[in-house]
Amino acid sequence: MTSYVKLAAKNILRHRTRSLLTMLGIAASVGVLFAVLSFNKGFTEGLAVELERTGLHFMIVPSGCAHEVAALVLHGAVIPKFLDTGVMEHVEQTAGIDLATPILVAQLPDQQRGKIDLIYGIEMNVLEAIKPGWEITGTIPRHEHEVLLGYEVAQHDNLKPGDHFSSPAEGVDLVVSGIVGYSGSQDDAFVYLPIQSAQNLLGYPQSATAIGVKVDDPTRIGAITESLTSSVPGIQIVTMGEVMNSVSNLAAAARALSLAIVLIAILISAVGVMNSILMAVFERTQEIGMMRAVGASRWDIFRIILSETTILALVGGVVGIVLSTLGARLIETFVRSVMPFVPSGDLIRFEPIVALGSVAFIFVIGLCAGIYPAVKASKINPVEAIKG
Amino acid sequence: MIELKNIEKTYRRGVENVRALRGVNLTIDAGELMAIVGPSGAGKTTLLHILGCLDQPTNGDVVFDGVNTASMPESQLVKIRREKIGFVFQQFYLIPGLSVFDNIALPLLFSKKPAQRKKIEQLAEMVGLEHRLNHAPAQLSGGEMQRTAIARGLVNDPAILLADEPTGNLDTENSEKIFAILRRLSDEGLTTIMITHNPELAARAERTVKIRDGLICP
Ligand SMILES: Nc1ncnc2c1ncn2[C@@H]1O[C@H](COP(=O)(O)OP(=O)(O)OP(=O)(O)O)[C@@H](O)[C@H]1O
Ligand SMILES: [Mg+2]
Repeated sequence: MTSYVKLAAKNILRHRTRSLLTMLGIAASVGVLFAVLSFNKGFTEGLAVELERTGLHFMIVPSGCAHEVAALVLHGAVIPKFLDTGVMEHVEQTAGIDLATPILVAQLPDQQRGKIDLIYGIEMNVLEAIKPGWEITGTIPRHEHEVLLGYEVAQHDNLKPGDHFSSPAEGVDLVVSGIVGYSGSQDDAFVYLPIQSAQNLLGYPQSATAIGVKVDDPTRIGAITESLTSSVPGIQIVTMGEVMNSVSNLAAAARALSLAIVLIAILISAVGVMNSILMAVFERTQEIGMMRAVGASRWDIFRIILSETTILALVGGVVGIVLSTLGARLIETFVRSVMPFVPSGDLIRFEPIVALGSVAFIFVIGLCAGIYPAVKASKINPVEAIKG
Repeated sequence: MIELKNIEKTYRRGVENVRALRGVNLTIDAGELMAIVGPSGAGKTTLLHILGCLDQPTNGDVVFDGVNTASMPESQLVKIRREKIGFVFQQFYLIPGLSVFDNIALPLLFSKKPAQRKKIEQLAEMVGLEHRLNHAPAQLSGGEMQRTAIARGLVNDPAILLADEPTGNLDTENSEKIFAILRRLSDEGLTTIMITHNPELAARAERTVKIRDGLICP
């Protein structure tokens, strides 16, 4: 026997089932705490990368649709209002603009096939520029009547490059020029068309959902957007920075809520630890009396009991972090299914600092949970305890 | 070695006062083997706990090697218990999760001394448990449990060993073994005090003290 810790550990092992259940409570709550804390880091970094990858600095939309922009930029939502492509002329005349493209996104119901196509019209050379990561089987559309299919669309209709793409619009005959490789993102669900074909097909000539703009010098974004809003009526400009902010604000709010829930869960499991050890103290009253008789001080007893709650909490916490790290992919899948936007890539990464912080936190919680049982134990009167 | 002067101990039980000891005078010499006998409720355990610095008298003096412990604070009493006193109980009170070795070594944890393997082995051999060191208490017989407890009581090299009905839960054969160990310890110079209800064992002690209604009978 060399330490209080060993004695405490042996005591915990005397009630295996009870200790295991108590520990699992801690493991679950600390595991989630760790996931929520690491998740936020991965999320913000992933978001920045994703926005960078769009290759655009800002979007011009009809005024009043600012909120839909974030969704449009990130996963191609449908915006109910349209911009007149006449705005393009103004934009192209504005100094400092490197590249501008109208984007038209709309749903196209197809009764024959019983499904709705998501049409994404854009200048094809711009598409190439902003999606450099795509692996395309075949080619990008070079002609008016060619389409590029997202992976899922191609899978669903079992289409290959060169196949005929049936379209609900009369007299329009489309041919599949290429298929985008699997990305795991919303990109898989679209039918990409040259902007003009999209406008004709959808029956919105001269219209666009938004205009994506890339400037020469990113430091001048402020000045450029200001001059555009003042010279072109009826538009609103949303920069990628703003998109980043609104999505991160959303994520931060979600995180604050989950943190609050996790903290309550930790509190409940800490009460479980306290209760478990308190029971053990009552069951061991005589033994504690014996220890006092053979030389243990009140403080010795206090420390043994405090060690017991701390060990339970610490082991639970470490197990929780390990499980959370191992199960990170599973948690991510869940998060992806409930969050409106989630960047691709690992959301939960093992961050030593976060892990250490979580362990330190649960250590303190374990200490706190031990105070009450430890005080109770140290107040046991040995003379009465030994009488039994 | 220990002198008890006019020891009184009164417990409160609800509104009523229980006078467990009513003026006990007793001198204990170093190295003697003393048996304390008396009917149930006479105050034997109370006296033993006061001798062992586990409890304090309501009145009177306890002079332990020239030092009066009667009104010492618990913080000093615990030091005396660690350094000078060994306790043995009727119910053994071994810790189930610990091996015989660790049970014997337990008091060293509180006196902050290292558990030297050799010393624990010697103690185990003295009580005839050298082959049981790695066993759990649940694997021992009652006699073996009590011998473990005696070894535990000796691990801090006490000046006095206090045993409260050490054979109360044992059969004759095992009681004999325990008594033989206590006698050998006292022969080797250890002051040994044993409460017992067994008149045969009491008769074989060097000295028998009889207690009745909180007083020593002449
Ligand atoms: N903590 C206590 N509170 C109240 N009364 C007590 C307490 N401890 C002992 N007593 C009373 O003091 C008296 C002496 O008790 P003690 O335990 O010393 O007797 P004993 O001689 O050891 O008896 P036994 O042979 O049954 O062990 C008894 O009447 C007992 O009820
Ligand atoms: Mg008694």
